Amino acid sequence: MPESEQPPVLHEARPARGADRRDFFKLAAAGAAVGFGAAGLAGRASAQTAPAAAPSDTDILNFALNLEYLEAQFYSFAAIGTGIPPALLPGTQTQGAAVGGRKANLQDPVVIQYAREIASDELAHVTTLRRVLGSAAVAQPALDISPQIFTAAAVAAGIDLSASGGVFDPYASDDNFLLAAYIFEDVGVTAYKGAAPLLSSPDNVDGAAGILAAEGFHAGIIRAALYRRGVEVPALWTATDQISALRNRLDGDVSSAGPPQRVANDDSGVSPVQTQFGLTANFVPTDSNGIVFSRNSEQVHNIAYLTQNAATSGGFFPNGTNNPNPALRRSGAN
Amino acid sequence: MSDKMEFLDLMERAETQRQARRSFIRLCGGAAAMTGGLSLLAACDDDDDPPFPPPPPPGPGPSPTPPGLTDADVLNFALQLEYLEGNYYSYAVSGQGIPAALQTGTGAQGNVVTGTGPGAARQVSFTDPVLQQYAREIAFDEIGHITFLRNALGSAAVAQPVINLSGSATITVGNTTPVGAFTAAARAAGVVGPNAIFDPFASDENFLIGSYLLTDVGVSAYRGAARLITNKTFLEASAGILATECYHDGVIRAELWRRGLTAPSIYSVIAQVSAARDALDGTPDLDQDIGNASVANLIPTDPGGLVLGRTAPQVLNIVYLNPASTQGGGFFPTGVNGTIRSSGGP
Repeated sequence: MPESEQPPVLHEARPARGADRRDFFKLAAAGAAVGFGAAGLAGRASAQTAPAAAPSDTDILNFALNLEYLEAQFYSFAAIGTGIPPALLPGTQTQGAAVGGRKANLQDPVVIQYAREIASDELAHVTTLRRVLGSAAVAQPALDISPQIFTAAAVAAGIDLSASGGVFDPYASDDNFLLAAYIFEDVGVTAYKGAAPLLSSPDNVDGAAGILAAEGFHAGIIRAALYRRGVEVPALWTATDQISALRNRLDGDVSSAGPPQRVANDDSGVSPVQTQFGLTANFVPTDSNGIVFSRNSEQVHNIAYLTQNAATSGGFFPNGTNNPNPALRRSGAN
Repeated sequence: MSDKMEFLDLMERAETQRQARRSFIRLCGGAAAMTGGLSLLAACDDDDDPPFPPPPPPGPGPSPTPPGLTDADVLNFALQLEYLEGNYYSYAVSGQGIPAALQTGTGAQGNVVTGTGPGAARQVSFTDPVLQQYAREIAFDEIGHITFLRNALGSAAVAQPVINLSGSATITVGNTTPVGAFTAAARAAGVVGPNAIFDPFASDENFLIGSYLLTDVGVSAYRGAARLITNKTFLEASAGILATECYHDGVIRAELWRRGLTAPSIYSVIAQVSAARDALDGTPDLDQDIGNASVANLIPTDPGGLVLGRTAPQVLNIVYLNPASTQGGGFFPTGVNGTIRSSGGP
């Protein structure tokens, strides 16, 4: 957005660590201020400095489009065994192929429905973003959705793969498909949330909110399915906790008020927690106020590239994401 | 099935959902007026439009959200809806409403009217422990949202208004004896007969239907309000609350759909509730059911994959259970507090 439109920064930084649901009582007991409370509508400005070159709406929507290519290809392969239509792949910068995907061996009719509906939505998101970006849309970059990459993520997370020969194949079973989806879904939601305050056009804010909302439905459905299945297969709960811990590691320990807000360790798996109501599910990854947290574009890239370091490619994007703005192609140094 | 046939099947499925999403056809027909908060018309053409073209000017149909609203107005409106949701889930999991300290503020503070006997707001005796654990999480989050919004608004926060949280045949509000709001909604939808009650606290299934009634509306309200918020900090936070509501709603809709496989009447009941909301909120078709056993429709999106939104007046049509322009009724018998209080309509 133009420099003149930089919004004021109205609130203080959140607590640096662990303001998640698990710490709720600790914080409450200590009388700690959480969230924006201390500032209120007339809060004071902080010393936050504006980014050097604020990304344009086009840059941000292209950032989102890269994530949608990844999700759309994964779900399309998993649901029906083929990728998204070739007509949806060209654009600016280097076009690549999606490799390593195949139809998932889904057995549970409920999971099959989930996969198909989410695939349909992600396809629509790619189509919508490409349409609104028009000739500015970036091409699909090279995508690696092979079991090797998912295995690398699972190994990094510390998931026990001894029963499957050290391999995590996202297409092998209902459970594996859900866990693989778990790796992506929350990241998409937090990415859209982090991007929302950077968009300058109200129409783009509106459209992005609509996509964010759909991703939230997806993520809730995936997480709740893992929660329910984890009652019988506790290893699933453990695996989500491990994936969330990995994401927390990859995306760093820095907190800042934003916008966009950056948090350190708010990611959490689906394992149940204790609240004032008793044993409680954790199908929403939130802060202590029940609000889904944000990630900035660098943090999102840390997870997509599966690296804690500053990088321009890796993980699911072997040649990096496409974007005319280099700042929106790189991960952070964490 | 071959890959090609699978792909055609997926396309066919998308088409089926598109047909369920009737708004597309009506909107693209050009007759229907769109009001603020939606960019659905963007899906109707192939022009090289700028990103997410603006909605057309308001025409006949529900009133647009009035101009000149401040962020505080918008957040206070959201807070009213959170009072309703927070109390619903809190009663369902604990038999109590939200803490008294969270109810104060400007405007007339009201109580939660639970009703008595069958249909009264109370703790649900869940038979499915997983559903109970989901419900507790939702209750926790909703109380978090209330806390957050009140803190953000500070002294500008509006009080909890009177809330009709009952499925009872009649309740007492001041000198009036309205029908419990859940029963009124269910009767209007045809879910129960004109003299029967609907008790959302009676069973797992009823609780989910009551949740569907409220949470879908919350999602569409935050979705519709996003473009109205000017302060970027609040916009980001509001996006986070929207996201949370979507996680909740995804789980509620998915639970209903899953249960429909063995209790198919759920699909028709949800279709009735959805149709009733559509009848309340004016011309644009902004509501979707959960599909049927063959094709799930867990995410209420337009053909572009965007979740549907409502303007504040459209939201009030639903929670007031009234298609006309009015300032109270249904779940808020004396209206909501704040500057946004009128439902849409002629």
